[in-house]
Amino acid sequence: MIKNYFKTAWRNLWKNKVSSTINIVGLAIGMAACIVILLFVSYERSFDNFHGENIVRLNEVQKFPGMAASQKVGLSMFPMAPALKSEYPEVKSYTRVKWDRKYQMTYGEKKVFLSQVFAVDSAFLKIFKFNVIKGDAQSAIEKPNSIAITQETAEKLFGNEDPIGKVINHYGGDTVQFTVTAIMANSPKNSQLQFDALYSLPGIHQKWMDNWGGNWLNTYLKLAPGTDLKAFEAKMPAFLKKHLKPEQTAFYQLFYLPLKDVHANSTEIGLDYLNYQKFDQKSTNLFAIIAFIVLIIACVNFMNLSTARSADRAKEVGIRKSIGANRPQLAFQFLGETVLLSLLALILALVLVTVALPYVNNLSLRDISLPVFTKPLFLVVIVLSTILVGFISGIYPALFLSSFQPVKVLKGSVETGKNKGTLRNILVVGQFTSAVFLMIATVFVVEQLNFMQKKDPGFTREQVVTVPMDRISGKKYELFKQRLLGNTLIAGVTASQDQLGSHLDQSGATFQYKNDPKRELGVTQLIVDNDYLRLYNIKIIEGKDFSKDKSGNGREYIINESMAHELLRDHPKAGISTLIGQHFGFDSLGVITGIAKNFNFNSLHYKVENLLIANQSDWGLTIASIKIKPGQSQEALDFIKATWKSLNPDYPFEYQFLDDHFAEVYRTDNQVSKIVGILAGLAILISCLGLFGLASFSAEKRVKEIGVRKVLGASVQNIVLLLSGHFIKLVLISNLIAWPLAWYAMDLWLQDFAFHINITWGTFVFVALISVIIALATISFQSIKAAIANPVKSLRSE
Amino acid sequence: MLSLQHISKHYQVGGNKNFVINDISLDVDEGEFVSIMGPSGSGKSTLLNIIGMLDEPTDGYHYFVNEAVHQLKERQRSALYKQYIGFVFQAYHLIDELTVYENIETPLIYQDVKGSERKAMVADMLDRFQIVGKKDLFPAQLSGGQQQLVGIARALIAKPKLLLADEPTGNLNSKQGEEIMELFRKLNKEDGVTIIQVTHSEKNAEYGTRIINLLDGRVESSKKF
Repeated sequence: MIKNYFKTAWRNLWKNKVSSTINIVGLAIGMAACIVILLFVSYERSFDNFHGENIVRLNEVQKFPGMAASQKVGLSMFPMAPALKSEYPEVKSYTRVKWDRKYQMTYGEKKVFLSQVFAVDSAFLKIFKFNVIKGDAQSAIEKPNSIAITQETAEKLFGNEDPIGKVINHYGGDTVQFTVTAIMANSPKNSQLQFDALYSLPGIHQKWMDNWGGNWLNTYLKLAPGTDLKAFEAKMPAFLKKHLKPEQTAFYQLFYLPLKDVHANSTEIGLDYLNYQKFDQKSTNLFAIIAFIVLIIACVNFMNLSTARSADRAKEVGIRKSIGANRPQLAFQFLGETVLLSLLALILALVLVTVALPYVNNLSLRDISLPVFTKPLFLVVIVLSTILVGFISGIYPALFLSSFQPVKVLKGSVETGKNKGTLRNILVVGQFTSAVFLMIATVFVVEQLNFMQKKDPGFTREQVVTVPMDRISGKKYELFKQRLLGNTLIAGVTASQDQLGSHLDQSGATFQYKNDPKRELGVTQLIVDNDYLRLYNIKIIEGKDFSKDKSGNGREYIINESMAHELLRDHPKAGISTLIGQHFGFDSLGVITGIAKNFNFNSLHYKVENLLIANQSDWGLTIASIKIKPGQSQEALDFIKATWKSLNPDYPFEYQFLDDHFAEVYRTDNQVSKIVGILAGLAILISCLGLFGLASFSAEKRVKEIGVRKVLGASVQNIVLLLSGHFIKLVLISNLIAWPLAWYAMDLWLQDFAFHINITWGTFVFVALISVIIALATISFQSIKAAIANPVKSLRSE
Repeated sequence: MLSLQHISKHYQVGGNKNFVINDISLDVDEGEFVSIMGPSGSGKSTLLNIIGMLDEPTDGYHYFVNEAVHQLKERQRSALYKQYIGFVFQAYHLIDELTVYENIETPLIYQDVKGSERKAMVADMLDRFQIVGKKDLFPAQLSGGQQQLVGIARALIAKPKLLLADEPTGNLNSKQGEEIMELFRKLNKEDGVTIIQVTHSEKNAEYGTRIINLLDGRVESSKKF
């Protein structure tokens, strides 16, 4: 029986090549999109899932006095973890992680900079399941002055030598000696914790161990199974009260995030340094939903084309019934056909996925592979899902076709294909509504991204190269600056503690306006050298810029407009110029010398908050900003590099154009918009494939009518309009339905940006126009072909 | 074998009932060869379809091999039909996507006959109708007469007790028609298959052992030979 069905199915597919191709290709594209997104989602879900359960990260909510809003940070204090362990039975073990970036390490003559080194507690390897390849890793993180390095680090430092037992040195002000006791596997790419080496935290950073107040590390706890996080969190205020100074307790709250949420559900957490490829699960879910919609659109094609073609199959149904087939047998046959077709589509889909994956990896910066042969479960899942897809797409046509009365269809008195037009119209409208919705969303997302790229942030971003400095190289900054300025390729040099665009955090400051009571307020501090505002073209609207040469007594502050208005909150009538010359509570010497026009020191996701700029190079400058003359970038870069090398021969030279830094700031936005855009494109493509199939079907069905009309004098245009009008009407209806939905969704999405475009009607009309043009282009081929056909031919056959 | 009692079928047209079959009673015994005649629209085909359970009457009682068909459910009717009835159509109605062999085989598939057994039965049938050489051809590659032979072979493959034929020679030339009629006579005489055929042709009707003339949904005359 199966064989007989299979043959019929195969020969039918072959006979109707156009609709079979449309079905298989459309379904394959839909499935490929779904599989890619499924792989992406499962990759995202796989982040740190190999460590086991009940691991949480400790986070803080900081609200320093006067801060407009509290900020959540991923950091915690040195003594918190041991205290939590000794006071709460819920805590089974803990590890703190203190990281160092660009960690200099020497072995003999060889010197490398490790991108990230962790100092951890002894339970680190018990809580996190990172693989040890060789040696005793546990002792490396327990004993001072021993270290476990990753395979990659071992190759960098030792080449083919066996590293175990070798002594390596770190120089960072003073020299630390480490003995290598173990080799670790490189951190899996799907882990938030990426490290090149591990050593003992208590062994090296002993002096900080009782420092309540400094938030310089991350804390991870392994909790007892079944611990109620909310209840545990509720005990934290008492914990803080016990340990912090009374005036500090109000500044902090503690909360916990399960390890999975650290990766997928922590967008609002700042100072989140150990979170490799953090990605919001809202975006992941969004992709999944859209991919699913694309698949449904493909399934709808299937239903539409099969029911439209039902006339062709009606006779077969009649015959089969008249020679003894019952309805379930027929339904089973038709379902078998759709399942066969979906399985064919799956093969094509897997090919498409294989082709697309490198691009997907490139776009998402992930390491996703298609585990067809490595994970049998995956294969089983997609084959079963494919059968399900075939079943769902086929159930309606199967029930519809198998319901035919043999007497009627054999006499040709059943209006097959036409009487189900309403349902088909609804399905087409559904398809196009989704496609138009996605198109509108794409246009707005792209517009918003362009807006963010183009909007004047209030400072100059072009031709600025940034060079990171550490404690050692930072000491030579002044010299570096002077040497650079000696060359005409360099237009200016300045430095700061933080980089514009990186999310800058807030801290507290006290201020007293004239004789008012003292006020505490939250403020972002930007520590710079005195050329900073000049180099970045930040406008001063009141007062003056930092003085070129620092006069003996004083520090100078420049605040932004927002801050000025905040400080004058209780004196709305006083002009901002009255702030010039005022002191801050923490600094009886320094005064406010100028007020800068607001500029977007954070990304455009955020409002411009209070900003305090201080020219205190002695507080530590970590990023040099070098403005180069246009047109000779390479020469300028070569010169900067040579200068750096001459001053810091031991330190690698790194640089980044500020534009590239901003591209990174908006990278997630870019990724999301590209993926949504691609999915929208696929949705349109598949919908149009379906429309093409329906148009060719309807042109075929009406060939006689068209012949008669032409004989009666209808022109080609008349016929094309007749054939296309119906479909265009459906596309327009889809637009009307999609508009309010898209408006609502985009309004919601844009709320995420403090600075965003406005929703305008132009876009909606534009998308409507595009969708009609695409639909017309799709169906016109069939319509015109039918319209210019010689009527004599079509009528003769009757 | 078959008994129709006061069978009617009508359609509602506006306020009027339009009778296609109007109170027909008819008994057919095993081994008969009945020809149903009558002008277009007299209800011949409808009557045949009702007998073949492809159509349902609006009124009346229908007994077939001692079963009250009018009381059976769809599934039971289908089972009864499968077991006892073969159908031959004027337009042959072969499945275009299947070969001659597969077309003949299909009814057996629906009756869950085993593969090896099916093979033997189909081979036997191909032999009997002398179409072995054509078994791998598709219907479109055959002449009308050959297609109808395949149609009959398909109707007979499951060894039905009753063969229903709706103008089996209507699309054939007279020589082909004669061959088919001879085949029917032989089936009736030698194999004892009960046959009911609908025909326009006096000549073909006379192959039967009884001729029933219909007019406007009623039996106008019935004569046995």
